[in-house]
Amino acid sequence: MHYQTGLSMRRLQLFVLIIFCVLLASLAAPAQKRKYSAEKTPKIVVEPIDTDALKTLLTQQRQQPLLVNFWATFCDPCRDEFPDLVKIDKDFRPQSLEFVTVSLDDVSDIKTSVPEFLGSMKATMPAYLLDASDPEPAINLVDPKWRGDLPATFLYNEKGEIVYKHIGRVDTAELRAEIQKLVKKGDGQ
Amino acid sequence: MKTRNVSILLALVFVIASVAFASEIPSPAIGSRIEEFSLPDVNGTERSLKSLAGKNGTVLLFIAVQCPVSNAYNERMEQLAQEYKAKGIAVVGINSNVAEDAAAVKAHAAEHKLSFPILKDPGNKVADKLGASVTPEAYFLDTNNRLLYHGRIDNSRNAARVETSDLRNALDAALSGKPVEKTEAKAFGCTIKRG
Repeated sequence: MHYQTGLSMRRLQLFVLIIFCVLLASLAAPAQKRKYSAEKTPKIVVEPIDTDALKTLLTQQRQQPLLVNFWATFCDPCRDEFPDLVKIDKDFRPQSLEFVTVSLDDVSDIKTSVPEFLGSMKATMPAYLLDASDPEPAINLVDPKWRGDLPATFLYNEKGEIVYKHIGRVDTAELRAEIQKLVKKGDGQ
Repeated sequence: MKTRNVSILLALVFVIASVAFASEIPSPAIGSRIEEFSLPDVNGTERSLKSLAGKNGTVLLFIAVQCPVSNAYNERMEQLAQEYKAKGIAVVGINSNVAEDAAAVKAHAAEHKLSFPILKDPGNKVADKLGASVTPEAYFLDTNNRLLYHGRIDNSRNAARVETSDLRNALDAALSGKPVEKTEAKAFGCTIKRG
């Protein structure tokens, strides 16, 4: 009787242990999944950039070519071309292309619609939002001939010179060919 | 077969040329005369520029229903229209967006209490003629339809950050008989959706 009671107690302990292990495993699994999800869609931080800082960014000498895309969430062609740009970033970043985006949305959108859109596009390139009460000086410093129409894409060489520009929805094949002329190696496809 | 291929090639060239043209349509030079035109208003009644012109000039404002930048200016545009109507300058809105029909423009004007006349520009003929590319974008014409100012209303879509009221400055200069100092300022907003 006493032996049977001891056996039952051991079985009960084993049962409790199994339940505990199952619970522990079920708690651990979502944690891993959450971590994986977080890696897949990193938190997007959009930095404000004023006209002077934009000038420095565009004109400084650098080690690699720079691609800059000016866009806004309210601009339909900007949204349409974004998946192509994300792919270009993915393909050419390993070949030393520096790619940044500059949003011309209102500064009040810097923590809401702008990062939300970039997150939905899985866009991991550095993202800025023009923080200027008057966008005209910034538009003029980029290119006096640019009227501010969006989207606008500019490719700079290592000396900070514009070597290619496109106003309106980008021609992906054309842009890729221009980037290819500047990057160091690889096919970028 | 050969003729068909040539036709396809020509059509392709035409489409490419149209797209390129649409993205960089030149605007008339400051001082040049804008041709008379007429467009239907939101009720479908044909209205000529001449019939809507103010005795001291006319402001043509390209506006939109869905553009957040244009919408950020609704109150300022209405205020401008009211204020300068009393001074003999008429404000006329023009909607050239292909996806925004007259009913939508009418409902939008009612919702935002826009009292100035708004014309619908089918086929964006007037937008093309003036080289308008975004909303909002302003053209100020004198009594002879000569272009005195072209560009933005002011420097910021955010009313709290306005520092330079370029359009108002142009209107005030013309009203006081002085030359407009800044005749052009880059308009910033949503691209006009052409048909």
